[in-house]
Amino acid sequence: MENNTDLVIKNLHKSFGKNKVLNGINFELKEGERVVVLGPSGSGKSTFLRCINWMEEPTAGEIYLDGTLVTEKNVRKVRRNIGMVFQHFNLINNLTVMENLTLAPVKLKVMKRAAAEKRAMELLRHIGLTSKANAYPASLSGGQKQRVAIIRAMMMSPEVLLFDEPTSALDPESIGDVLSLIRELAEQGMTIIIVTHEMNFAKEIATRIVFIDKGKIIEEGTPREFFEKPKTPRVREFLEKVL
Amino acid sequence: MGEFFNKIGELFSTPAYIDSLLHGFLLTLQISYFALLIGVVLGTVIALVETARKSKWMVVPKFICRVYVTIIRGTPMALQLFIMFFVIFAIKRFPSIITAILAFGLNSAAYTAEVIRSGILSVDKGQTEAGLALGLRPSTIFMRIVAPQAIKNMVPALGNEIITVIKETAIVSMVGMYDLNMAAKDIGSGQNMASYIVPMVVAGVFYLATIYLIIFIVKRIEKNLRKSDLRVEK
Repeated sequence: MENNTDLVIKNLHKSFGKNKVLNGINFELKEGERVVVLGPSGSGKSTFLRCINWMEEPTAGEIYLDGTLVTEKNVRKVRRNIGMVFQHFNLINNLTVMENLTLAPVKLKVMKRAAAEKRAMELLRHIGLTSKANAYPASLSGGQKQRVAIIRAMMMSPEVLLFDEPTSALDPESIGDVLSLIRELAEQGMTIIIVTHEMNFAKEIATRIVFIDKGKIIEEGTPREFFEKPKTPRVREFLEKVL
Repeated sequence: MGEFFNKIGELFSTPAYIDSLLHGFLLTLQISYFALLIGVVLGTVIALVETARKSKWMVVPKFICRVYVTIIRGTPMALQLFIMFFVIFAIKRFPSIITAILAFGLNSAAYTAEVIRSGILSVDKGQTEAGLALGLRPSTIFMRIVAPQAIKNMVPALGNEIITVIKETAIVSMVGMYDLNMAAKDIGSGQNMASYIVPMVVAGVFYLATIYLIIFIVKRIEKNLRKSDLRVEK
């Protein structure tokens, strides 16, 4: 796999009214990297993730995807190439599992309906949920919903997948199912940014750990460096509490 | 009691009475139907303006809508009806049915707008975000995701608004229109005090039957729309 830079973020700021959440984030992501974003709650991890595909419009700073500056004008096109998985799954309640999977690729003319349905069935078979193709999200368990949400993002064949605390709303058994699906995507070479509190998973899957505190990246490195030889006192303190 | 049933027999065997009742009933239905039509159309427009994203183009329309809804909801329907009849459409020979339809339609629009607005706002933000993250157009997100869920949420309240309007039209008798309510009073008058009872009970049954039918239809629609909440397959 070639080492192209997929994503470049320069001096990203985000405020909600007077509340400054992000205070100048600089970040680069190369194809095939798997970055785990850690940090205390309220540090701006989720906001950082949500700024990448403009779910939150940045207050200042630049985001480039494959060299193209993300702007209000091209944001919809950019979003097709950035998949997002939410903490609360966000499956569309009034659509069946199949419709959830095929709506965007068909509407955005990425695939013809028949091709999209075929692809959706393949992915459903892969996660063992073909029997739920025509069911509504209300009949799925949390873990099932999240796995469907992940393959929904995959339907668009994105360049990057963003995970915003994908297991925080799940029971322990479902967490395992969801993590192993993410692990599989990682093994297939998917470029991933994930905000999570699952430290062991972070250690195992990440090619790089990024630590955010008070809206800034204060430390980054390989999982080994980060967990075994943290450089800053803030990270040491954090790791003492969570490990 | 026997007297009561005799009176009912008399009412239904006197063509002039039946004619009056049906005329009144028809007027009630006409006013209600067209008023609700105006209410839904205008109410939808107001709700869409009020829930639209904030921008400099929307400041004035949003303000106008808010003022309109506040005035309509803050003043009595009877007063609004009087203003329509004696101020705005105080023109000789202007058809009173149109004045009444406008009065009730403009009133219903404000309430319907509130129902639609809260229906739209009740849809979880995550539903819109899911669509945005996939790169869907805002119009697609509205039509395929937000609107269907909003409609499901607002059907019970819309049913309630239909019922309210049908019953509220009874106040047109205050401006001398011959609706179902007025017909009952008319049939009963000119006889003795007790004679009011029968036509008024009959008028009540007419209202009740109409509204019961509405409730029945709304319940059916509700049940149909709730399919996606149930743990069933499509």
